[in-house]
Amino acid sequence: MTSTMDLHVSPLGRVEGDLDVRVTLTDGVVTDAWTTAGMFRGFEMILKGKDPQAGLIVTPRICGICGGSHLYKAVYALDTAWKTHVPPNGTRIRNIAQICETLQSIPRYFYAIFAIDLTNKRYAKTPSYDEAVRRFAPFVGTAYEKGVTLSNKPVEVYAIFGGQWPHSSFMIPGGVMSAPTLSDVTRSISILEYWKNEWLEKEWLGGSIERWMENKTWEDILAWMNENEGHYNSDCGFFIRYALEVGLDTYGQGHGNFLSTGTYLDPELYQNPTIEGRNAALISRSGIYAGGGFHEFDQARVREDHTHSFYKGTGSHHPFDGVTDPIDPAQGKAQDKYSWAKSPRYDVPGVGYVPLEVGPLARQVIAGQADPAAHQDQDPLFLNIVNGVGPSVLTRVLARTHELAKYYTWARKWLDELDLHDKFYAKPVEHESGKGFGSTEAARGALSDWIVLENGKIENYQVITPTAWNVGPRDADQVVGPIEKAFLGTPVQNTADPVELGHVARSFDSCLVCTVHAYDGKTGKQLSKFVVGGM
Amino acid sequence: MATLLWLEGGACSGNTMSFLNAEEPTAVDLVTDFGIDVIWHPSLGMELGDQVQQILRECASGERQVDIFVYEGSVLMGPDGSGRYDMFANRPMKDWVAEIAPRAGVVVAVGDCSAWGGIPATPPNPTDAIGLQYLKGERGGFLGRDFTSALGLPVVNIPGCPAHPDWITQVVVALAAGRTADIALDDLQRPKTFFSSFTQTGCTRVQFFEYKQSTMDFGQGTRTGCLFYEFGCRGPMTHSPCNRILWNRQSSKTRAGHPCTGCTEPGYPHGDLMPGTIFKTAKVSGTVPKEVPTGTDHLTYMAHAAAAKIAAPQWSKEDMFVV
Repeated sequence: MTSTMDLHVSPLGRVEGDLDVRVTLTDGVVTDAWTTAGMFRGFEMILKGKDPQAGLIVTPRICGICGGSHLYKAVYALDTAWKTHVPPNGTRIRNIAQICETLQSIPRYFYAIFAIDLTNKRYAKTPSYDEAVRRFAPFVGTAYEKGVTLSNKPVEVYAIFGGQWPHSSFMIPGGVMSAPTLSDVTRSISILEYWKNEWLEKEWLGGSIERWMENKTWEDILAWMNENEGHYNSDCGFFIRYALEVGLDTYGQGHGNFLSTGTYLDPELYQNPTIEGRNAALISRSGIYAGGGFHEFDQARVREDHTHSFYKGTGSHHPFDGVTDPIDPAQGKAQDKYSWAKSPRYDVPGVGYVPLEVGPLARQVIAGQADPAAHQDQDPLFLNIVNGVGPSVLTRVLARTHELAKYYTWARKWLDELDLHDKFYAKPVEHESGKGFGSTEAARGALSDWIVLENGKIENYQVITPTAWNVGPRDADQVVGPIEKAFLGTPVQNTADPVELGHVARSFDSCLVCTVHAYDGKTGKQLSKFVVGGM
Repeated sequence: MATLLWLEGGACSGNTMSFLNAEEPTAVDLVTDFGIDVIWHPSLGMELGDQVQQILRECASGERQVDIFVYEGSVLMGPDGSGRYDMFANRPMKDWVAEIAPRAGVVVAVGDCSAWGGIPATPPNPTDAIGLQYLKGERGGFLGRDFTSALGLPVVNIPGCPAHPDWITQVVVALAAGRTADIALDDLQRPKTFFSSFTQTGCTRVQFFEYKQSTMDFGQGTRTGCLFYEFGCRGPMTHSPCNRILWNRQSSKTRAGHPCTGCTEPGYPHGDLMPGTIFKTAKVSGTVPKEVPTGTDHLTYMAHAAAAKIAAPQWSKEDMFVV
């Protein structure tokens, strides 16, 4: 006999924000899912009519976790709108700052947000459970304390160049506000070295970053893990072993279609930023991987659907024409709307508008594209993994942590390339009107701004966050969003503590907080033992 | 042992992220060494879904004692007073706050949003965002002007966008160490120990300020001079210890060439982000700053400036923070 029930989780925490998840379970496996972003602050409405540079102050405050990434794309939106000249040093400092924010984010995410669920009692009977608790238990776990505490080191480098982290606005059209001295650079190098020695190599890899970067396939990863005791007993080695033990490689697949808008502009190649010239100047490339093929990224093919979002009307807009007109969720629910997130979609040539997953996995799949330019990253590892063992909770988390070694190497290289005797800023002409597009890859995925300036003020400002790409609801065609899709097929062992849903949601590291309530699938009634209040 | 509950309303998690940068003590030390029992935190709590609702109900009913209630983010009152712009654990967040705050020993507002309403409350304030006990500089806020927590204190405001981690951890340690009586608050309910001095106190540009030497440009031009004259720096009018207790143990906005935006004061963002107000000093008759340093007036300012410029030594016009 088939048993069906609905489960509503409110809040599903540790996703930074407010996320509610409702799923239908059939014989203990998720067969349908709805994700609800529960909070609206109206930043795009606040920006309308304001100073052209207001986005430099406001958009980092959309998310205190990736505020430096918000600043990075907001400044390039203005650089393209004002047609500025950015001296190479300006881009170098912007790149160094953002990559240090990401280096902070990865361990903080892994230990504080993700890994504490590995100590859930659901796994008490698995062989390595005691070891997982010893390492990952919140606050007291040996690995937790080091990983979380030392994650404050990379952002010390951000503060040297930007004054503070989080929430600096030091990147301005034409470059940056600061101009480092020799000791700023040497101090930055020393801080990063310390962090690499004390955590990245000692605790996370149990070996060298150079050796990790040699891994090109899933088989390489397994061979790396078994190569020596250092690797095997490192937090990374243990995580892979434990994830396989508890089956994190078996669910959370998602649509399998990916978008990276790319990031880290080449300092020499993007001195005069334009929307058209952006793709060619990227170090971490942009692109779409859908239906097994690669496509070039074009911002003109992005639309945001709000059919099932708490905004007036139905349909979709390109962000330059975007509208943010909120309605009371109580009315919205009557119109089949269920989230504050809009549903970004991308017009894949020959396929049409589809949802795309963003994040480190998407970024690293795109890095597998052939024919990079000399300045661009090429890395086959995750294209191999996605086409072999496939996407999963494990794959997504591994892609995120894979970036540690790569980004550390880049940060060090870019520090070496700073020319202390050259310019860091060129004063721009503040044009009254213009259109701009700026984008980057925050730790958790593609993050973009579209700005329209008229008469010396902001006429329209639209932001699409990685969380919107991933957590957005169904679109007008009833196609589910990436996280909704990833929930499908997830086995839930204990409906009173559906930790598996937490694994899936947190594998995306969305900037939101979540909840679970239970419904009876046949009668549509909530099972009162799980729910207080109504839905 | 003190219990701590931390909730986020209309927030960006920036104060939480800032808090996690702390050292001496670290966030982990607060738990393991200072015996802070974290009942729940949106980024750090183990529980999800109904387990969280259960915890919140116990805190709201008094069944579970909350010694320190930390609230991050604005209280979102919209639409139409319903609070439905911020639904949390199945009900408007404002309803949880209304029930939990009066039973808590101490209520701590971390960050501007919680203290004054913050960026979300910038006109047109689309979500009717409001602070716990203030809206901008006006006392009242969500909890009302006469609100006091169980220990008889008004909301303790630790403003800043974000608040510096030490401002938070030191207050938490003081509360946990039984020094509640020593936490003297200023007129805006901020701990005096942090918010009596100015942002400018300890700024590396203070000698340039003294001789009225302006920074000429951003980037390579920012190593020297003072940011007050042309770039809208609010360091002389803002109370914070940003240049006494450095950010991320390394620097501060003004040290890095970033004008102070005055984010620990209730008027933030000053000028409501209107055209011409960002990173530019507003002036009267083309030369005199519209807002002069706290405690002076335009006439005194001009007399002082004229004398200071005459007194300015050559080094004050040169770059002393050389490559």
